[in-house]
Amino acid sequence: MPFRRQGPAYYFIAPAVLVLAITSLYPAMYSAVLSLYNWNWGNQFDFIGLRNYLDLFKSDEFWQVLRQTFLFAVSATAVEVLLGLGLAVAVDGLKFGAGIIRTLLLTPLMVSGIIVALMSKILLDPMLGIVNYLLGLLGIPPSPFFGAAATAMPTVIMVDAWWQTAFVFIILLAGLQSLPPEPIEAARVDGANALQIFFRVKLPMLRPILFTVLIFRTIDTLKVFDLIFGTTGGGPQIATEVMQTLAYREAFSFLQMSESMTIMVVFSLIVMAVCLVYMRLEERIED
Amino acid sequence: MATYSRAQLERLLAYLIALAAILITLFPIVWILGISLKTQRDAFALPPKWLFEPIWDHYIALWEKPGFVDAFLNTVYVTLLGVGMAIVMAVFTAYSIHRFRFRGKKLFGVWLLLAYMLPEFLFVIPMYALYQRIGWYDTHIGLAFVYQVHSLPFAVWLIRSFFKEIPSELDDASRIDGCSHLGALRHVYIPLAAPGIAATAILTAIWIWNELTIALSLSFSQAQTITVAVASFRGYASIAWGPMAAASIVAIAPMLVFSIIAQKYIVKGLTLGSLKG
Repeated sequence: MPFRRQGPAYYFIAPAVLVLAITSLYPAMYSAVLSLYNWNWGNQFDFIGLRNYLDLFKSDEFWQVLRQTFLFAVSATAVEVLLGLGLAVAVDGLKFGAGIIRTLLLTPLMVSGIIVALMSKILLDPMLGIVNYLLGLLGIPPSPFFGAAATAMPTVIMVDAWWQTAFVFIILLAGLQSLPPEPIEAARVDGANALQIFFRVKLPMLRPILFTVLIFRTIDTLKVFDLIFGTTGGGPQIATEVMQTLAYREAFSFLQMSESMTIMVVFSLIVMAVCLVYMRLEERIED
Repeated sequence: MATYSRAQLERLLAYLIALAAILITLFPIVWILGISLKTQRDAFALPPKWLFEPIWDHYIALWEKPGFVDAFLNTVYVTLLGVGMAIVMAVFTAYSIHRFRFRGKKLFGVWLLLAYMLPEFLFVIPMYALYQRIGWYDTHIGLAFVYQVHSLPFAVWLIRSFFKEIPSELDDASRIDGCSHLGALRHVYIPLAAPGIAATAILTAIWIWNELTIALSLSFSQAQTITVAVASFRGYASIAWGPMAAASIVAIAPMLVFSIIAQKYIVKGLTLGSLKG
């Protein structure tokens, strides 16, 4: 195609390119370069090569935090996709009231993560919270929730599920409603029950959308910040610390700017790798 | 004794599941609303008080708290500014991607995706250093600008999928009529994709309104947003439930009202992108 015809294409994307260059390309490169220095927001500014990376890979804390980040992301995504899929299937079958049910279930998506965090601190207070009281009525012993290392992570995962299951639900519901009716009708005529129709007919057709939702939730949960920052702050000790809260702490509490950038460069590469794996996986299944 | 068909039982089960989900979804918000209207003594009462005399003290205190009303207004400015920038640029960018084949298009697509999905702190710290130097730290424009790293790719992607829905005959017709590209945008694309563009603007507004990570790092007092103001309550959360609950309710109320009014657009925006890719 001759360049002349491409001209308008470039004019039209030029503002976006400029803005994205300043807000993404510049900072990403800045982070990559500064990770090779020992900058701590002061006068110290020496080139130290890959020392930050070597130190990071040698620190037990980094590996623990990386494990926890993935534990959170994988568990939260799994819980949300299972619950969201179940809900979508249930609501898809309803003729009356589906609209209002969808509206009500959408509510958590309108709430900021930090507010979800603060609300959960009130509701899940070990001593005075309503949740432990209600569990008590059912004869279930009280949980320390955010207060103990063993329960903090499952609690944060549960809170994320309250917050984001609606996202999975709304997309899978739309997916279910856009499925062609003929194969489902054919299976019903052949005497298949609801479960068989779901697993043999609907689920395979839903797979591409399910994949999209999985990618979205995985990336989003890997990047978790608000929920942890607002509830446990990474504690008790570092039991719920994740990559983004670690980077925040290094930069804004300890002023270790170069170390924080090193963490983010490594983590960004990991996020990109996860994305690539998903895409490859999807391609392979398509074939 | 009545006997029920299998289909009826399945439907009953579906309604029960939906009802349980609605209860679990709404209970926390309703309970926090209750806490925001309770005295400290009522809020801490065990067993909990289901019926109580509502008080408005916590809301009045928020109104009088220095900076809280400002934070609310800051968020309004930053949201309007950020949505405006994203939508204007995204309409042109989406048109360009939809209508032209150009060198570097694929690369540009990958760039959009990366900007959208990479973790915030990769971008935030260098932007902090840059903003300190050029005087954009703690300003409305500074926040609205940096939000483009997320909002612009999102808006481009969504508006483009709405442009794809427009029948190509209309586009061809505008070309035969001698419309320029700007003419085609003004007379065909923007009017026909208006509901989609509205949906995109709404979702972008919700995202910016609720954003914490970037605002926490790049604003301090002058441009402090509502999420940062609410986050400042977390320190003494264990004792001051009432003020914290009231601040939370004030922060989410605009988006809840918004979501009821714009429900159709929100669902459309959320679902189209992922269904059509």
